[in-house]
Amino acid sequence: MTPSLDPVLPGAILAGGVLAAAASLWLLLPNGPDRTATRRLGTLLGLLALGAFIVTGRRLGGFGEEAVFLIVSLVAVVAAAATIVSRSPVYAAIWFALSLCGVAGVLLVLGAQFLGVATIVVYAGAILVMFLFVLMLAQPAGLAPYDRVSNEPFLSALAGAVLLGVLSLSIGRLSAAPAACCGLPSRAQAGADAAAAAATPPAAGAADPLAENHVARLGGELFGRHLVAVEAAGVLLLVALIGAIAVVARGEDVHASMADDAGRAVR
Amino acid sequence: MQDLSPATLLVLVPLLPLIGAILTVLLGGRLGGRAHLPAMAGIAGAAVVAILLLAATARDVSPAHGPRAEPIRPVEMIATLWNWASFDDAYTPPPGSPAAAVRSVADATAGRAGGDVRGFSIPVSLRLDPLTATMLTIITSVGLLVAIYSTGYMHGDPGYPRFFALVAMFVFSMSMLVAASNFLLVYVFWEAVGACSYLLIGFWFTKPEAARAAKKAFLVNRVGDFGLAIGVFLLWMTYGTLDFHDTISPQGVIMPGILGQTRLADAAGYAGGAVGTAICLLLLLAACGKSAQLPLHVWLPDAMEGPTPASALIHAATMVTAGIYLVARSAPLFAACPGALTLVSIVGATTALVAALIGTVQNDLKRVLAYSTISQLGYMFASLGTGTLLGFTAAIFHLLTHACFKALLFLGAGSVMHSMGGVIDMRRFGGLRRVMPVTAATFLVGALALAGVAPFAGFFSKDEILAALHAKGWPSAHGEHHAVVATEGPLRLASFATGASFATGAAAHDAVGLDTLDRPETWRLLFWMSLATAGLTAFYTFRAVFMTFTGPTRVPSGAHGHGEHGHESYESPAPMTLPLIVLAVASAAVGWLLFATNWLSHFLSATPSLTAAAVASTAVPHAFHLDLAIQGTLAAAIGIVVAAIGHLGRRSDGPQMERFLGPLQTLFANKFYFDQIYTALVVRPLEALSLVAALVDRHVIDGAVDAIAHVPVAVGGIIRRGQSGLMQRYALAGVMGVLTIVVLLAWQLRG
Amino acid sequence: MNPVQSLAMLQNALTVGAILFSLGLVGILTRRNLIVMFLAAEMMLQGISVSLVAWSRHHGDWGGHVLVIFVLTVAACEAAVALVFVLQAFSRTGRLDAAAWQSLREATVGRTVDRELPAAGAAPPPFPTLTRAGVQPPGGEHAPLEREHV
Repeated sequence: MTPSLDPVLPGAILAGGVLAAAASLWLLLPNGPDRTATRRLGTLLGLLALGAFIVTGRRLGGFGEEAVFLIVSLVAVVAAAATIVSRSPVYAAIWFALSLCGVAGVLLVLGAQFLGVATIVVYAGAILVMFLFVLMLAQPAGLAPYDRVSNEPFLSALAGAVLLGVLSLSIGRLSAAPAACCGLPSRAQAGADAAAAAATPPAAGAADPLAENHVARLGGELFGRHLVAVEAAGVLLLVALIGAIAVVARGEDVHASMADDAGRAVR
Repeated sequence: MQDLSPATLLVLVPLLPLIGAILTVLLGGRLGGRAHLPAMAGIAGAAVVAILLLAATARDVSPAHGPRAEPIRPVEMIATLWNWASFDDAYTPPPGSPAAAVRSVADATAGRAGGDVRGFSIPVSLRLDPLTATMLTIITSVGLLVAIYSTGYMHGDPGYPRFFALVAMFVFSMSMLVAASNFLLVYVFWEAVGACSYLLIGFWFTKPEAARAAKKAFLVNRVGDFGLAIGVFLLWMTYGTLDFHDTISPQGVIMPGILGQTRLADAAGYAGGAVGTAICLLLLLAACGKSAQLPLHVWLPDAMEGPTPASALIHAATMVTAGIYLVARSAPLFAACPGALTLVSIVGATTALVAALIGTVQNDLKRVLAYSTISQLGYMFASLGTGTLLGFTAAIFHLLTHACFKALLFLGAGSVMHSMGGVIDMRRFGGLRRVMPVTAATFLVGALALAGVAPFAGFFSKDEILAALHAKGWPSAHGEHHAVVATEGPLRLASFATGASFATGAAAHDAVGLDTLDRPETWRLLFWMSLATAGLTAFYTFRAVFMTFTGPTRVPSGAHGHGEHGHESYESPAPMTLPLIVLAVASAAVGWLLFATNWLSHFLSATPSLTAAAVASTAVPHAFHLDLAIQGTLAAAIGIVVAAIGHLGRRSDGPQMERFLGPLQTLFANKFYFDQIYTALVVRPLEALSLVAALVDRHVIDGAVDAIAHVPVAVGGIIRRGQSGLMQRYALAGVMGVLTIVVLLAWQLRG
Repeated sequence: MNPVQSLAMLQNALTVGAILFSLGLVGILTRRNLIVMFLAAEMMLQGISVSLVAWSRHHGDWGGHVLVIFVLTVAACEAAVALVFVLQAFSRTGRLDAAAWQSLREATVGRTVDRELPAAGAAPPPFPTLTRAGVQPPGGEHAPLEREHV
C-alpha cells in the first residue's frame, strides 16, 4: 500500500478536470444575453470536472467516511460555483449561505467542531446578513446591467485554471513524511515512526485536535499560548466598529451626482 | 656639456616672456594703462639674456684662421628640462634606414638579441648654438622695440592688455621654436606661433575683414603644418628619434640625433632617395606655409588687417622667418637630396619675382610692404636652396638685415597710419615729409636698405645672395672651391645610406627625377630672376616713398594733428619714434659691420647643422664680388629712377605708372588670381561639403535620434491604453503576474 | 487513523480548499457587482480555513485552528468596514458597479462604457426594500395596514 498512486493517468484526468472546470466557468459566467445552450454546455462541463476530481480523489478507507466527505464537499463546491455564476446578487448570497453550510460540514468531518459551528454562526449568521442588508438598500429592481456582464471572463477563468492546476499538482505530490524543517510533533510523523516500530495505530497526543474535550482544549490553547493575539483581535474588532461608525457619520448625500470623473473634489 | 650657467640663461629666454604674458593675462585688467609693464619687462629681460648668450656662444667659437683652416668645431649646448614621454617597444624601423643601422651598433654593444623593437622618448631639451643665438637675439630685440612702439600705437585701445599678452606669448613661442632641440617640440611651437598669429591678426575681431583674414591665415598655415606633421612622422621612422642632438641611452649607448654630431660625422648618416626627398619636400611645404611662399602666400597680404606693430613683429621680422630657420636647421637633410634643394631655390626665386610684380601696383602702403616681405623671403629661400655654406649664411644674414629694415618700414607705415587717422591708402595723402620728419627720414633709410643701396644693410646681404646664386650658375668663374658641383663628388655619394628604399649611390638619386633640375642653366635663370626682382624691389619701394612723402602736402580729414593751424605736425609720439630711430641706425650700420668683419658667416658656420661635411666643404673665402655689386646696384638704380619718373614730387598725385602696363596691370592687381583659384578649387567644394554635412547632421543624424526618441513615446502610448482605471483589470494583471511567479517556482521545485 | 488515511484525508481536504480558493479568485476578478465580489472574497477565506484546519489535523496541533479563528475575526471586521465603503460608493454613483470608478485611468484614455445589452427577461419579483433608517416611511399611519406586499 504505497502512499502515492500511479501518477500518469490520474494526472491526466486531473488536468482535464481543471480545464473542464475553467471552460465551464467561462461559459457560465454572465456575459451578455443568456443563451440556454451555453448554460447547458457549461453545466455539463462543470459536472465532468467534478467527476474528474472525484475520481482522482484519495480513498479514505471506509465507505461511510468517503460518502460523508463527498456529500459535504460537493455541496460546498457546487454552491460556491453557483455563487459566482448567478446573475442576481441575492441569489448569489443565498448560494453562498449554502456553500457555508457545506464548508461547515467539511470542517466537522475534519474534526474542527468549534470552527464548523463558528463558521455558520459568524459567517452565515452575521456577515451574510449584513450583505443582504446592503443588497436590499442598494440593489436596483431587476437585474442591473453590470450584473449581466463580466470583466474579462476568459482570462480570469484561465488564471483560475492555472492556479488550481498548480495547487492540485502540489497537493498530489505530498508525501507522508513531513518536511524536515519544522520539527512539529506531528501525529503523522509519530504515526510513521510508530508504524515502523509496531503496526498498532498510535495514541493521540495531548495537543491533538482529534482528542476529546476539543472545545475546552481549544479554548485553553487560545487563551494560553495565544492570549496576546486574542486581545489584539478584540481591539481590532473595536477599532473596526468605531471606524465604521466614524465613516458613516460624516454623512453622505444620497442624491449626490452619479458622475465619478467630472473632476469633482473629494468630499 | 659646458657649465650650468648658460643653461639657466637659456631657459630664461622663453621663460621671462611667458611669465610676462601670464601676469598680463591675470593683472591686465587691473593695470589698465600700465598693462604693458609685465610683458615689456619680460621681453626686455629676455633680450638682455639673449645678448649675453650670444656673447657666450661667440666666445666658444674658435677664431677664424686663414683660408682652408682645419674644419670648424661645432658649438652646441643642450639643456634638458624634463622627459615629456617615453615608450618602450614603440616601433620597428624599416630595413635599410639609418635607424636600422643604429640598431646594429646598439645591439652589438648591449648584447641584445631578439626582435627589432625600439623604444621612443621625447625629452624637452633646449639647445644653444650660433644659429639659435642669432635667432633669439633678433626675436627678442625686435620684440622689445615693437613692444615699446606699441605703447604709443595701441594707446587707448580697449584691448590694450590683450595685445601685450599676445606679444609676450608670441615671443615665448618663437623663442622656444628656435631653441627646441626636438622636432616634435618644433612642431608644437610651430603651431603655437600660428595660433598667436591668428590671435593677433584677428585682434580687432569685430571687424569682419580681420576675422576673415585671421581664419585665412590659420587655414593656409594648416596646410603647411600638415606637411610638417607628416615630415615629422617620416623623420621618426627613418631616423628612430626626433632629437636634434645625440642622447645616451640607459645602457650607455649613444643614440645619434638627427642633427647630432655623431650623425653629422657619419658619411652614411642621412637618407637620400625617395624617402629623403619626401622628407625634404614636406619640410619645404611647411616652410612655404609659415613663410608665405608660393603657393601658400595668400594669407600674408590679408594679414595686414592686424595691428601694425603685430605685422612688424610677426609678419616681417620673426614668425615668417620660422620657415627659413627650419630649412637652415635641416641643412644636412637637404644636402642629401640635391633635387629638393634646387626646388627650394626655384620656389623662392619664383615667389620673389611674382610678389614683386604684384607689389608694383598696390596702393595700400602696408600691402606693398607685405608683398615686399614675401619677395624678400623668396630671396632667402633662393639662397638656402644653393646648398652651399655661403648660401645658408647669406640667407641668415639677409634674415637679420631684413628684420631690421622691414620692421622699420612697417613701424614707419604704422606711424603714418596712426597719424593719418587710420588711412593707409597712398593716394589719399602725400608730401608727408614736411609734417612727419622723423618718420620720413627713418622710412627713407629703411627704403634704401630694402632697395639694396650701398652702404645700407640690404646691399650687403643681397650681394651675398646673388653671389651664392652666381656661384651655382657659373661654377667655373669662382674657382676650384665649387668642384663639388660635379655629380661624382665623393661627398655626394658619401652622404647616402645603404638600403633598397633609401638611396644607394648615384643610381637611386636620379630615380626621384628632381635632381635633373640641378643644372647650371637652372641656376642662371634663377640668378637673372633675382636680379630682376632687385630692380622691381627698388621700384615699388621708392614708388611708395615718393607717393607718401614727396609732392604737395595732403592730409586726409580724419588725421590727428597737433600744433597750431597751418603749421601742424603729425609726428607720432616718442614711444613710436624712438624704435624707428634705433632700427634706422641698425639698418644703416649692421650690414656694413657684419660684412666687413665677416663675423656672422664665421659665427654661423659653427652651427652643428652647417658643419656637415656636405655643407662645410663648400666654404669659400670671404670676398667682395665687385661685378655682382655693380649689377645689383645698377638694377636698384634703374628701379629708383623709374619710380622717380613716375611718382616723384608733384607727379606723386598724378596718374599712376601702371597705366602703361595695360592688361598686365589687371593681372598684378588681382594678385595673379591666386585667391580666385583657391576659392574655386578649395573653398567652394568645402562649403558644399559642409552644407551636405549640415544637412546630414540635421536630418539624418538628428532625425535618427528624434526617431529613437519617438519610440518610447509610441510604446508608452500603446501601454497607456492598459491604464483603464478599472480595478478588476488591474487585479487580473496582478494575479497573472503572481501566477507566473508561482508556476516558475513550481517548475524549479518540481524535482 | 493510519498515516495513509491521514494523508489521503489531507489531500482531499486540501483539494476542496484549493477549489474554493480558485472559485473565489475567479469571482473577484470577474463579477462587477461589489457585493458579489465580497462574497467571492469571503469564499477565498473559506478555502483558506479548510486548508488550515486540514493541515492542523495532519500535524496534530492547534496552530491551524487558532489561525482560522483569527481569520474569522478579521473577516468580520473587514466585512463591516468594507460594506460601509460600499455604501459610500453607492451614494456617490448610485450603483454597486466596480466599473463605475475609473478615475485612475490615464488622461488620454477614454471612459470604458458597457456595450448595449438587450433587455433582460422578465424581471425577478420585487424584493422588499428597506427604507433608510430614521426616515418616516411614505404614507400615513395606516400605511402599514395598506401595504400591497410584504
